Amino acid sequence: MHYLSKPVLLLTLLTVLLGWSAISLADQESKPFAEKRVVLQISDNNPFKQTLVLNVANNLLKHYGTDKIDVEIVAFGPGLRLLFAENTNKDRIQGLADNGVRFSACSNTINAMSRKLGHKPVLSSHAVKVSAGVVRIMDLVDQDYILIKP
Amino acid sequence: MTNRTPNLRNTLLLAILSAGFLGSESQAANWLMLQGTEPAGAAPRAKLWGFIQPEYQQTDGALLAAGPWKGQSAIFNQIGPDLKSESTFQIRRARIGIRGTGMPLDSNVNYFFLAEAGNNAITRQGGGSVRLTDASITFNHLPGARIRVGQFKYPGSEEGLQAIHVFDYINFTNASNQLLLERFFDGDGSDKQNPNRPNGAFRDVGVQLFDTFRRSGWEHSYAAMIGNGNGIVRADNDDNKDLYLYWSSEQVYGGKGPRRQGLKLSAWWQDGKRTLTGAGAGEYDRNRWGAALTFRKQQWRAAAEYIAADGMIFNGTDGGAVPGSVNNAGTAVASFNVAPEGEADGWYVHLGYAVTPEWELDARYDVLNRMTDVSAQERKLETLTLGAQYFMNKKSRLIVNYEVRDAEAPGLAGSAVPNQILADIDDRISVQLLAIF
Repeated sequence: MHYLSKPVLLLTLLTVLLGWSAISLADQESKPFAEKRVVLQISDNNPFKQTLVLNVANNLLKHYGTDKIDVEIVAFGPGLRLLFAENTNKDRIQGLADNGVRFSACSNTINAMSRKLGHKPVLSSHAVKVSAGVVRIMDLVDQDYILIKP
Repeated sequence: MTNRTPNLRNTLLLAILSAGFLGSESQAANWLMLQGTEPAGAAPRAKLWGFIQPEYQQTDGALLAAGPWKGQSAIFNQIGPDLKSESTFQIRRARIGIRGTGMPLDSNVNYFFLAEAGNNAITRQGGGSVRLTDASITFNHLPGARIRVGQFKYPGSEEGLQAIHVFDYINFTNASNQLLLERFFDGDGSDKQNPNRPNGAFRDVGVQLFDTFRRSGWEHSYAAMIGNGNGIVRADNDDNKDLYLYWSSEQVYGGKGPRRQGLKLSAWWQDGKRTLTGAGAGEYDRNRWGAALTFRKQQWRAAAEYIAADGMIFNGTDGGAVPGSVNNAGTAVASFNVAPEGEADGWYVHLGYAVTPEWELDARYDVLNRMTDVSAQERKLETLTLGAQYFMNKKSRLIVNYEVRDAEAPGLAGSAVPNQILADIDDRISVQLLAIF
């Protein structure tokens, strides 16, 4: 029986570790000097929560400075309405995106809404689709993001 | 000549001392969008809301000084809509409504529903009961051309189009009250008559095309509506339809909703016909048009508006008496009158200043020139309204108004009976509370 030699094993392990780090670092590349990393969850139907989550994101940027804090807003369930293209908050979303805030849209929710609407909802150009909103949140938490649900 | 009695002065002084000044909310807002649409992607399925306006109004109750009803109550010194007293507490408005999207995932369909249960010309004229004031659906599918269908405020004067619960004053200007708040009658008043339906409440039943566009810091809005021209909560009574056209351009300084700051210019036109079936039966033109300027920036608020009217001019009551009153000779009953082919115009200017975030001072001067085409029937009504507002919070406020009122028949001698009657128009004090929920 042949086993992997130690150098090959070490090289393989190193590749895996680098790959995992690459995935983790990809989220953090946009704010390499960030001292704090926050994921904001919006999953509520309440329109007031839309205003609240945008206010929290804005307040974080103001307090820490745009380069010192990394913010991602993850929308799923009824909260995905925040990322509809025609949403009344689109100007605020544009402003936050210009300051590096990221917006993730849950594909599971998109599919469910598509069935109800009869067509796919049109999302903001700043929304990035993720396979599942809760999974995205969990992944970010694993990367030391602080979860806040206003 | 006006009556300014110590009684009213003391009441005014007490009211102002016990009230306060607070910021106004009403100028430079986009009423078409605020009242006809819901925030895209952020509106609830159904939002319950409403407001209550209890108030007290008082005049000195001066009686008619001349004419066939001499010594009886003067309609202009009685408190409406009941016209039975010169001082009264009442629930001026009590409205409850629901608005929303129906299906939150689809912002293209909005609805608005509002009912009135207060004591006013909507609920008391033509039979008193709770009335539907608004019931509409708005379709936002077409870019640049939203469609609103149902019963709602027609696009027109700034004073009429703005939401009543953010109005800076308690009573409307004479021009809006008599030229735009339409009363519906069967005849011209030659025979005894009362309104046959509720006051029009600046509303009609029909379909409206409208939208708003932003260009270089300016917001331009248009609206075109076709309606029955026959008041609220009923079908049309003839084959004619009213046409309403509206345009506004506003330089937006900031803020949002009813408190938005900006400088707005607007103009409007209303063209319609009315059919009388009683005395003076026939079909008559009813045209209205006007232009307005509103301004709101930091502590300052200002507005000016001009309103013109041709046809179906509300022309007061016989002898200035309360309708239904029998004259002293026992030969006639006072009635409301309409001049089907008369002309009129009016205007107002308003200035407000928020002394502190809780307190505001307001002043408004308004003029109505009624029946300008017939010298002997021409009447000029002038009112200077001094006001103070105190905001307990964003949804509750106290308003105090003192109206210095004058009226005359400029085409007649000072000794003529109409001028003797109008000389006794009293000042009026009003105190109103507002609670929005």
